[in-house]
Amino acid sequence: MSAPVLQVRGLSAGYGPLTVLHDLDFTVQAGERVALIGLNGHGKSTLFRAISGLTDWQRGSVQLGGREVGGQRSGSPGRHTHRIVRAGLAHMPQGDAIFPGLTVAQHLDCGAYTSAAWRQRRQRQEELLCVFEPLRKLLASPVGTLSGGERRMVSLARGLMTPAKLYLVDEPSLGLAPKISRAVVDALMQIDVGQGAMVIAEQNLALLSGRVNRTLGMHAGQLKGSA
Amino acid sequence: MDVDIGFIAITALTLGCIYALLALGVSIVFASLGMINMAHGLSFAVAGYGAWATAQWLSTAPWAVLGGGMLAGGLCGLLICSVAFIPLHDKPNFVVRSLVATLAISLLGVQGLLTAFGPNAKSLPPLFGTAPWTWGGWQIPADKGGAIVCALLLMGLTLLWMTRSRMGLQVRAMMQNPEGAALVGIGVRSTALTVMALTGALAGLAAVLLSQTYFVSPFSGTTPLVKGLIVALAGGLGSVPGAVVAAALVGLIEALTGAFLGGQYVLITQFLFIIAVLLWRPRGLGGLLDHSRE
Repeated sequence: MSAPVLQVRGLSAGYGPLTVLHDLDFTVQAGERVALIGLNGHGKSTLFRAISGLTDWQRGSVQLGGREVGGQRSGSPGRHTHRIVRAGLAHMPQGDAIFPGLTVAQHLDCGAYTSAAWRQRRQRQEELLCVFEPLRKLLASPVGTLSGGERRMVSLARGLMTPAKLYLVDEPSLGLAPKISRAVVDALMQIDVGQGAMVIAEQNLALLSGRVNRTLGMHAGQLKGSA
Repeated sequence: MDVDIGFIAITALTLGCIYALLALGVSIVFASLGMINMAHGLSFAVAGYGAWATAQWLSTAPWAVLGGGMLAGGLCGLLICSVAFIPLHDKPNFVVRSLVATLAISLLGVQGLLTAFGPNAKSLPPLFGTAPWTWGGWQIPADKGGAIVCALLLMGLTLLWMTRSRMGLQVRAMMQNPEGAALVGIGVRSTALTVMALTGALAGLAAVLLSQTYFVSPFSGTTPLVKGLIVALAGGLGSVPGAVVAAALVGLIEALTGAFLGGQYVLITQFLFIIAVLLWRPRGLGGLLDHSRE
C-alpha cells in the first residue's frame, strides 16, 4: 500500500511563547475529503500553517506522501514553505494571501508554478473558470478591487492551478454571504482530488455535513472526536 | 544668450536613460526584497572595472566590453545578495540591518577597488565609434546616441521580463505578498539572487554607458547611487513606471541646470526637486501611476 497523503505525528506548534497545537496525530488517506471542525481560536488555521511551515516554531513529524516536510524548527517562518508547496501542497489560507496589484489572470498564472503546469496553464484556467464562473469576466481586473467572495474564488482557483497531493482549504465560507459560501463549497466539491486528498477547515458544520468522508473535531489545540 | 535646445534635449535624454537604469535597480530591489541597496553604487563601480579589464586584457569589441561590465555588475549583485540579504532577510529589523550591511559592503568594496586599482581614473575605449550620428537635420554624438539606444533597449527588455515572464510575475507577486508568494511555490532566496544579479547587470550597463563620457574610478559609483536613490524616491520606491518618469524629469533638470546655471548647481536643483515632489506627494510620483494599492 502506498504511503498516506498526510501523516502527522506528535506535531506541536505555536507563536513565540504560545503553544497552540499540542502533540497532534492524524492521518489522511488518498481520495479522502476531510472536514476539520472547530471554533475560532482553537488551532485549525495554525494546524494548516504548521503543515506549510508558516508558524513561528514547530516540532514533530509531518509526512506528505511519505516525504518528511516537518521536523523541528524555531524561527524563520516561511523559509521552507515553497519547498513544501513544491512537494505537493496546495494551501488556500485564511485571508486569501492575494497580490492586490495583479490581475485575476496573473494570479492564476502564479498558481502554475511548475514548468508542466505553466505550459498547460491556459487549458487549466479554462477548466477552473467553468467551476468559478464569476471570475470569467474579471480576468483583467486587479484583485485588490474585487469583493470578498471573488477574492476567495481567486485564492482557491490559484491553489488549484497546479495538481497537488494535499489541498488545505482554510474556512472557505468565512466572511461570505450564505449563498456565496454555498457556491464556493459546491465548487470545492466539484474538484477531482484524484489520488490526493482535501482537508477543509470550517466552523459551519452544516455547510459540509454529508459531503465529506469524515470529520475531525478540534478543541484547544487538540483533536477531539471524529466521525 | 545662445542656447542649443537640441544639445539640452539630448543631454537630458542620455542622463535620464542612465538614471532610469540605476533607479530601476534600486526600485526593483526595494519592492521585491524590501531592502534599500546602498551598495548599488559599488556594483556600478565594479562593473566599470569589469569593462575596463575586459577592454585591457580580452577584447575591445563593444559587445565584449558591455558584456564584461554587465557580468561584473551581476556578480557584484550576487555577492551583495549572499552577504546582506540571505542571512538577514528573516531576522527582526531586517530593513535597518540590510541598510547597514549594504552600506558596509559598499565602503569595503570601494576601499578594495582603491587598493587593487589605485586612485587613477581609467577610460574605456569608445564603444559606438567617434563619428557623430546624423539623423534628419540633427547631429547626435555617438556615445550619447549609443547610450540612449542601449538603455532604452535594456529598460524595455526589463519591463517586458517583469510583465511577461514567469519569473517576472513571481518577482511582482513577492513584492505584494511574501506569504502568498511562498504559498505558490516561490522561493524567496532564489528569487532574490535572480533579482540582485539582474539589477547588478543593469547598474553595470549604466556604468559602461556613463563611462563613455566620464571615467571609471573607485568612487565613480557614489554620485550615480545618490542620483539613483533620488530618482527612485521621487518615483515612489518600488514603482517601476514612477522611476522611469522621475528619471526623465531629473535628467531634464540636470541638463537645464547645466545649461543655464552651471554644473555646480546640479545637485542643488535635484535635491530641491525631490524635496518638492515629496512635499507634494509623500509616496512619490508612482502613487499617481499604479492603479491598485492596498
